Amino acid sequence: MRRSRAFSFPAVAFSSLTWVILLSAAAVIFVPIAFMAGASLMNSADIMQMPYGWLPRSPKWANFLQALAGNDGQWIFPRNILNSLVVSLSIAASTVFLSALTGYGLAKFRFRGRNTVFMGIMATMMIPFETVMIPLYIIIVRLGLQNSYGGLILPFLMNAFGVFLMRQYLLSFPSEMLDAARIDGCSEPRIFFSIVFKNAGPAAATLAILAFRQQWDNLLWPLLVAQSEEMKTIPAYIVKFAAEKSSDEGAMMAVAAIASLPVFALFLTLSKYFLGGASVYSAGKE
Amino acid sequence: MNKGRSGESLERKTARWGWFFVAPGVLFFSAFSLYPILNAFWTSFFNKKLLSLKPPKFIGLDNYGKVLSSPDFWNSVGATAIFAAGAFVPMFLLSLLFAVLVTSRTRWRRGIQMALYSPAVLSSVVAALIWLLMFDPRGLANQMANALMRTPGIDHKWLADATMVRISTIVVYVWKYVGYFTILFVTGIGKIPQSVNEAAVIDGANAFQRFFRITLPLLKPTTVLVSVMILIQCLKTFSTQYLFTQRGAPLGPINVLTLNIYNTALRDQNLGRASVMAVLLFAFMLLLSWTQIRFSRSGELES
Repeated sequence: MRRSRAFSFPAVAFSSLTWVILLSAAAVIFVPIAFMAGASLMNSADIMQMPYGWLPRSPKWANFLQALAGNDGQWIFPRNILNSLVVSLSIAASTVFLSALTGYGLAKFRFRGRNTVFMGIMATMMIPFETVMIPLYIIIVRLGLQNSYGGLILPFLMNAFGVFLMRQYLLSFPSEMLDAARIDGCSEPRIFFSIVFKNAGPAAATLAILAFRQQWDNLLWPLLVAQSEEMKTIPAYIVKFAAEKSSDEGAMMAVAAIASLPVFALFLTLSKYFLGGASVYSAGKE
Repeated sequence: MNKGRSGESLERKTARWGWFFVAPGVLFFSAFSLYPILNAFWTSFFNKKLLSLKPPKFIGLDNYGKVLSSPDFWNSVGATAIFAAGAFVPMFLLSLLFAVLVTSRTRWRRGIQMALYSPAVLSSVVAALIWLLMFDPRGLANQMANALMRTPGIDHKWLADATMVRISTIVVYVWKYVGYFTILFVTGIGKIPQSVNEAAVIDGANAFQRFFRITLPLLKPTTVLVSVMILIQCLKTFSTQYLFTQRGAPLGPINVLTLNIYNTALRDQNLGRASVMAVLLFAFMLLLSWTQIRFSRSGELES
């Protein structure tokens, strides 16, 4: 009989092996993040010291000051942080709103061409941004929007995945509620705003966080569109700061830590939307 | 008759409102997806310079010929292929392993998932920057590698040697995304009905048999999906290579297609040739997506 029992020796060995692998994997994966946090408060001699001491001997807060002021003392990074916030938050808001609008139209109305519209929007998911970035850049230049918030935001106002997510969510929204509102003489736009949009909470939160993170991470587009230092976003500033030979290692990690704080704060408070967002994506692609 | 007519008008009315709600989306995707992709194809047939006032000249397939016969392009194809293959294998195997182990436990499941996922929360540039310092000759990567391999005092040239810099970019990527794909596998495993596994336990199947005979076959749609997503993700890599080369790492070994497109368009200002590479990248990704749709369909039919 090869039947496994609850407390047999192989079962216990197997279970402890599982724990050893999982915990060491989690620890190893966490090492670089711990390194960033520690090194952001160390002086560069200690960061590059052999053997490496993990904890700062006395926290060097000047790193953060230098990160914010920059090597040239122009204090451009705070402006870049503001840019990242403006761009990411506007795109998160517009993605949720416009995706809900389109998703609602596709989920709750029957009209000719509806399937074509839906399939057409879904097909755009296959277009890599790298393929369309040059035509997009030329559009932005023609509109005179280079080096402006408009140029940074416009191509990302909404995305196909958002439409998909909202449509799926609203398909299960009770149509009786909409009909009841229509009988009461409620106008269609008002039905959307006061009934549909108000109840799109969980899908909206998942989508907003996804859109925010994508833009917080976006390097390629700001490199193209933001020519002046004032209009750069955080990733573009990081590349510039890291490329400067005079940059102090501790200050580099302070920059990294500052860039990571908002997303980590979101992650720790709303982790279910992060982990859920990942799986929603897989459901969408299947 | 009367009733029929009012039904018809109601239908027409809902159709109008349907278009009303869909219109902003249709406009947006026409302007910012459909037009640009057509424009990219169109531009690939022209001799077009960025910010040039001269009207672009139609040169047919000339750009394609030039790109396909340039060693620089094939070097990029090679760099991208090595990166994608090198990142795919560890990423796929590790995320599958972690997912199977995570789902076999009930305690601390969320905490471990969050720890594995945490690098995916960071920006790609931040991830690359952290590793940039760890890969410094005096940095942590050398110390750890030497401690593991018992080779004190050796510099592995993580950012200077051609092979090592390829490995370094792969390490950054696997580290950043392994947790993300673990979560996808966890979701996929969660969809497998528990009863099948329980039946197998009663029949005396051990853990390995259950994994290879039950979990793996039933996980096929997720496996195909994750494989394609990893590959597409790897083809789109840009930030790590860009940052590393900005800090003086050799360009050749890590000049992946996206970086080459960027440099050809912005540094060389040659939009025609950049568009050719962009179109070829698109064609390849389309092929991957098509494979995924085909395979997951056949998976559905079998089950």
